[in-house]
Amino acid sequence: MAGSHPACPQCHRWLRPEILNVSGMAACASCGTPLQVEVFPALFRRSSPGQSGEAVLVEGESTCFFHPQKRAVLSCQSCGRFLCALCDCAISESHFCPLCLEQGKATGRIKALDDRRTLYDSIALSVAVLPVALFFFATFVTAPIALFIAIRYWKAPLSLARRSRIRFVFAIAFASAELVAWIVIVAMLVMELNA
Amino acid sequence: MPEREYRRLTRTRSGRGPGAGGGLSLSRRASLWLGRDHLLQIDSTGYSETYKRFYFRDIQAIIIRPNGRRRLWNWILSVLTALCLAFGLGTNPELGARLIVWLILASPLVALLVVNNVFGPTCDCQVRTAVQREYLPSLSRVRRAQRVLAIVRPLIAAAQGELTREAIAAGLEQLSESRPAGVSTAIPPPLADAAASAGETPTP
Repeated sequence: MAGSHPACPQCHRWLRPEILNVSGMAACASCGTPLQVEVFPALFRRSSPGQSGEAVLVEGESTCFFHPQKRAVLSCQSCGRFLCALCDCAISESHFCPLCLEQGKATGRIKALDDRRTLYDSIALSVAVLPVALFFFATFVTAPIALFIAIRYWKAPLSLARRSRIRFVFAIAFASAELVAWIVIVAMLVMELNA
Repeated sequence: MPEREYRRLTRTRSGRGPGAGGGLSLSRRASLWLGRDHLLQIDSTGYSETYKRFYFRDIQAIIIRPNGRRRLWNWILSVLTALCLAFGLGTNPELGARLIVWLILASPLVALLVVNNVFGPTCDCQVRTAVQREYLPSLSRVRRAQRVLAIVRPLIAAAQGELTREAIAAGLEQLSESRPAGVSTAIPPPLADAAASAGETPTP
């Protein structure tokens, strides 16, 4: 099925072809709203029906791991199982079997399937730094927590767009400094009490 | 050194588009990144991120529509600045300190006013694929949206091919012909349905 007719976001009436793909703004013929609309061939492309896989015609031909009666057309790039056209899950030029796809999503191994990530580096840094500004005595508890988060999740995937672990490094440095400060304070108190 | 997977197209912007929950939200920030074969929109809370990918081969249309957000902010900031100045100038001239306090309060408002106008007109930018219509909150200024469109257009053309004016006209004609029977060409199906349910006759 091809796309639907592009409509004005303001008046929802169909746009005329004259205002599509022009450089700069053009007014909607119905409501006069200035718009810049760029359309691409995908709008007019009809989606092809899904493939069901070809049946094996010659004995001895490679068959699909999941459908032994269907001919294999390629292999899974993760596990190497032979796949028919029905079982081929193509993702950004890579081909996976349904099992690897499911595992890849669950474990985060297939980046193209990642739709959410927790930023442990930001959490660790906030836990280490914010209490210093808000309530210093809380650092007695938060510094070890920040250290734990930074060390426990050091290898956890970071943001897709950020590649540096600098926040983890700062979190460890801050939390360590806070812990050292607490050790010094407690040692001084003990010495004073003894004296 | 390995090549970076994503290139930043826009800085992080507060708020969400009209189609994504609406309104301005200071706790959520959106940014747009350019991947090898797709655009990546990152919606971040600061502690977690959600991703939306728009593959070049799937993008059907990009629509930029100017809105009145800049004018609204101009009004709000102007009124607040005027109030600060009025309070400052209305005080007893002998109380110079109070005037200075009001001027200090007004200065960030003036700075915001200048920045709001330097960045140019605001807009809503929508990217459309076969199964979704997503607003890109990070493209909130017309100039930035046009700059990003200029970067993305050749990449989409490389993935899908070029579209001539004749092809557009022919394609639209085809889409119009494949519309559901009985629906006027002047009104798209959603409006026609709404009008029918309200018992109104659609006008061409």
